[in-house]
Amino acid sequence: MMTDKENEMATEKLVSVQVNGETCKATVPACRTLLEMLRELGHAEVKCGCEKGDCGACAVLLDGKVVDSCLTLAWHADGHSVTTAQGLGGPNNPHPLQTAFIEHGSAQCGYCTPGMIMAAKALLDDIPDPSLEDIKRGLSGNLCRCTGYTRIFSAIHAAAQTLRQQGAAP
Amino acid sequence: MSKIASPGASAANVNLRQIGKPLVRTDSPPKVYGTAVYAGDLTMPDMLYAAVLHSERASALLRRVDTARAKELAGVHCVLTAKDLPASQGVMTDMPGQTGGMTKNTKQPILAKDRVRFCGEPIALVAAESVSIAEQALSLIEIDYEDIAGVYDPVDALAPGAPIVFGDDNIVASYKVRKGDIDKGFAEADLIVENTFTTQYQEQAFLEPEAALAWVDEHEVLNIRSSTQVVEHYRAVADAIGLPHNRVRLRAEFVGGGFGGKEVMTIEVWLALLALASRRPVRLVQPRERSFLSHGPRHPFTMTHRTGVTSDGKITALQIKLTSDAGAYAKLSPYILLYATVGATGPYRVDNLQIDSVSAATNNLPTCAFRGFGTMQANLACEGQMEEIAKALGMDSMEVRRRNFIHTGDANVTGQIIRSAVWSDQCATQALAALGERPADTQTTRIGHGVACYQQSYGRIRWMKDSSEAWVGVEMDGTVIVRSAVTDIGAGQSSALAQITGEILGVPMDQVVVYFGDGAVTPLAGTSTASRALYMSGNATKMAASQVRENLLGCAARHFGVEVEELDMGDSQVFAIDDPQRSMTLNECVKLCAAEGIHRHNLAIFKAPTSEGIDPETGQGEVFPDFTYGAHAAQVAVDIETGEVRVLQSIGAHDVGQAINMRAVEGQVEGSALMGQGFALSEELILKQGQLQTGSFSEYLVPTSEDVPEIKAIILESRSGLGPFGAKGIGEPVYAPVAASIANAVADAIGVHIFELPITPEKVVKVLREQEAAS
Amino acid sequence: MLPPFELLQPPSLDEALKMLAAGESAPLAGGTNLLPDLRAHGKAGGRFISLAALDQLRGIEHSEHRVSMGGSTTLSDILRDPLMPTAAPALVSMAEVFAGTMVRNAATVAGNICYGSPSADVVPPLLSLDAEVTLVSTKGERTLGLDDFLLDYKKTARRPDELLTAVSWTPPATGTANLFYKLGRRRGDAITVVGVAVTIVAEGNTCTKARIALGSVAPTVFRAQGAENALIGESLTAATIDAAAQSAAQECRPIDDIRASAEYRRHAVHMLVRRLLTQAWQTASGVNHDD
Repeated sequence: MMTDKENEMATEKLVSVQVNGETCKATVPACRTLLEMLRELGHAEVKCGCEKGDCGACAVLLDGKVVDSCLTLAWHADGHSVTTAQGLGGPNNPHPLQTAFIEHGSAQCGYCTPGMIMAAKALLDDIPDPSLEDIKRGLSGNLCRCTGYTRIFSAIHAAAQTLRQQGAAP
Repeated sequence: MSKIASPGASAANVNLRQIGKPLVRTDSPPKVYGTAVYAGDLTMPDMLYAAVLHSERASALLRRVDTARAKELAGVHCVLTAKDLPASQGVMTDMPGQTGGMTKNTKQPILAKDRVRFCGEPIALVAAESVSIAEQALSLIEIDYEDIAGVYDPVDALAPGAPIVFGDDNIVASYKVRKGDIDKGFAEADLIVENTFTTQYQEQAFLEPEAALAWVDEHEVLNIRSSTQVVEHYRAVADAIGLPHNRVRLRAEFVGGGFGGKEVMTIEVWLALLALASRRPVRLVQPRERSFLSHGPRHPFTMTHRTGVTSDGKITALQIKLTSDAGAYAKLSPYILLYATVGATGPYRVDNLQIDSVSAATNNLPTCAFRGFGTMQANLACEGQMEEIAKALGMDSMEVRRRNFIHTGDANVTGQIIRSAVWSDQCATQALAALGERPADTQTTRIGHGVACYQQSYGRIRWMKDSSEAWVGVEMDGTVIVRSAVTDIGAGQSSALAQITGEILGVPMDQVVVYFGDGAVTPLAGTSTASRALYMSGNATKMAASQVRENLLGCAARHFGVEVEELDMGDSQVFAIDDPQRSMTLNECVKLCAAEGIHRHNLAIFKAPTSEGIDPETGQGEVFPDFTYGAHAAQVAVDIETGEVRVLQSIGAHDVGQAINMRAVEGQVEGSALMGQGFALSEELILKQGQLQTGSFSEYLVPTSEDVPEIKAIILESRSGLGPFGAKGIGEPVYAPVAASIANAVADAIGVHIFELPITPEKVVKVLREQEAAS
Repeated sequence: MLPPFELLQPPSLDEALKMLAAGESAPLAGGTNLLPDLRAHGKAGGRFISLAALDQLRGIEHSEHRVSMGGSTTLSDILRDPLMPTAAPALVSMAEVFAGTMVRNAATVAGNICYGSPSADVVPPLLSLDAEVTLVSTKGERTLGLDDFLLDYKKTARRPDELLTAVSWTPPATGTANLFYKLGRRRGDAITVVGVAVTIVAEGNTCTKARIALGSVAPTVFRAQGAENALIGESLTAATIDAAAQSAAQECRPIDDIRASAEYRRHAVHMLVRRLLTQAWQTASGVNHDD
């Protein structure tokens, strides 16, 4: 028989989150992170690298703000909207960031890439014409072990140019 | 971003359409769109989740391991300890595919039985309905440890009376090189320079932790889908768990970074055991803190160089002692020591040479493979010594290097004749020149320029009799398939095969489909290690594609009534070179072949050159197929008050033989520049009495975006390599000189060499204060 | 994997305070320290009061004589505020190098301060500005100086039923120099080895105010008051500055840890305080020192 305390901890809530424009629901306890919930919902593009906010592999946009989903509780995302790398675009309608990352060879093992692109998206939303220093700071929460970042920087710079030329809201 | 310079290159006899170009890699789109699948993304119905209990003690007897409470927890399907395992118990961590003699003590228990030898040694495995239940089960396992004396330093481990880690003594491996007459060499020297260099543990820090999914299928075949660099591990898995080899299928997914850390088995056997015991699919993604314990970090080395030189910088004698910390189990330590021994002299010709190397067992983390595999540590000492020699002689260090560079046709450390191009000088000269003008010092910062060369092997040790297979075929509609069990660990291993095949068959590479990494269905290609994947799989693929081309052109030639030499392939067509309108599509050609009963596919095997080992007394013999040469130059700014070192420019110049995908090649140079910077300045696993103090990415500091200098890649192509189109292996070579170039740059900035990596601000301050006190 | 815990989500500050008053619970703001700690220590059964819905705890208010930021102000909020570079220059410099982007979007000033770590980066700049913290509970409100708030290693004056709802300070007068430097083992996202914030006010050629706040070199972030006192009323020559910096280094109580030794930390304090004071004096007094 569970104590009152154990009952409270076991309490699960129905959480509803807009993920890439689609309503997703899950019944989860308080200790469930947004990262875990998204992956359980099938969003494997949101990667787990450290579970403590050191690496940025799990980065997603939460109401347009880039966050580590491993440090975001699912209950806190309830009623909010999440964008993942797959929500940015795909092979038939690539986002300029995706086109640039592909053209510039910005992915090697690719594991940091989804989180990195989301941080890049947030950066360009904030600063449409970023300097190299702005780009470095924007990606300061994303580790990459393979590329040396050089081509990631150049891809973001190129995508920023494309977006400015398009005049589109990023 | 790069400059291609090939002075004196042998005339390219092929008009390369795709090879050497910076094309989009075939794996880039799925990785960028987020659709690429990694092992931890795989799910199956009724899947269970695994968790592993790692030892909290570095050296202890296991008096009691009680899993009763864990087993009783609702949702737990099995809990395994050593007593539940088949009698074979041990996991072979020797290199797969080896036919040479077994080195000492390469067997490591799958799970600790009576004793733990390192903090992190696996003791128990759990499979449960959820991760949270599995974690809870771990906390219910009761263990009584009885600490016993351990040893935590190789020097202590080799001293008489040291606690023995396993076997009879703590010597895991040792090598000797004796060449020429060392005493005569020293007698001829005008000056003798002696220094000791040390390097630290480095953690691979791949972004994707170990992950795998295992299940037993309807044919009683154990399936494992894993983040691994080696598909051939299925044999070792089978042996470890008592299954025949033909009942284990290992598939390698895209690997989210390996760097050698996923080169020996990590979690595969654990999952195999849980899958067999539970009869359910079982998945594990190691939490990062346990990932640090689940694979071996880079060997710390202590290296002493005693060099005799003439007053104009010629090396007359070189005596080297190398000691590495193997940790609690041998794993690949003997091989890493061999690589370090062979790499110890760098790209220089030394005729009077004595090397003694030893790898000692301790109760520290078992060290293992990491990009460079011993050679890069050895290179730090060699290149630092070059600087010290130059300083002692009042010469420019490049001049000293030039006096001593090995040349094509010379014999190296182990008496192996170097047959490919040695462009160390050109590479170093270009890298240094590209640093440009030195900015002025400020009141508190000193600028330094440094360079380092290297000699790094590619291809595996010859007596492993290495080979690699690949299958290339053309479908009935003219589309092309490659099958190879090569593992793709992020350097474009699978894409390169598409590019090579596309080149040979005249098909755009993004239209070639490559099936890779499946031990049951794709021809075995060997490991993605030792900078061999392009060399071995590239050659095998080129052979297979070339045979298919020959078959297709033969058919077409007969059809057109011309000689084969008059035809070429391009844009998915076969055409007459002098009359391109005379052509047929690949589709049409293939149908002709089918009608004639000609094979439209080929399975090829490429065999690397072999040898029978080295002389145990002299270390002489042919060890590797070939070597890559190049250099790295760094510009640093040192804050002389705080000791902080900032890398401003980082330039790699390498003779890659022939770039297959220029973008991928440059990417390797760029990535290695930052990884080497981490090794030089900020990365350090700290163990105290075997206990890891730096067990997450908050304490273990890899370079971030804010740490990135201006990085450039200069690619030279001698076309003299043994790989496809004259390519050389590059994954490790480009990494070899980076840390040394930064260490040398710091020495240039502050006027005194720091012999211990990483070069922390504290160490800089210490030597500056000592320098000040001395003056 | 986080251990199971109870999460209460009060819709208002009053509700939150009532829950805290009921006892055995702790506030959860950005979670950037709390969640990794929970995961590492694995103890189930905590009860946390989420501040996520309490918008009144965010927001930065500027007036001529006072700046006040809500406890749930994030590090990114600080960077976005166009008036902050003049209202708290050192705070902005710190925010630029605080962790990484995603953590900056979540971490709050109250969370960083109340964690009580000596390496809390938010604290030295605020201390150098004589900031005050406002604590609220069901029993009322109180304000105390930040330096009185920090008691010991990971121990603050916050009672379990209190929330830190605001941090405020008087914006520096024109001509005040307020600088910050973080020394870490890499340039990006690192636990601070030595953190320094200084404030210098000059009237003519005389230093009328000096603050030297030091992080990661004592059980709490603290002000090197001996060094400060040596500067006030003086015209800051290179010698005066160096003496004060040495005094600051003596006032530290650093430890050896995996990042650095105590001896190095003292040296770094000497060097960095000297450097920042020199720069600050140049800005505040307009005097150049060319030795």
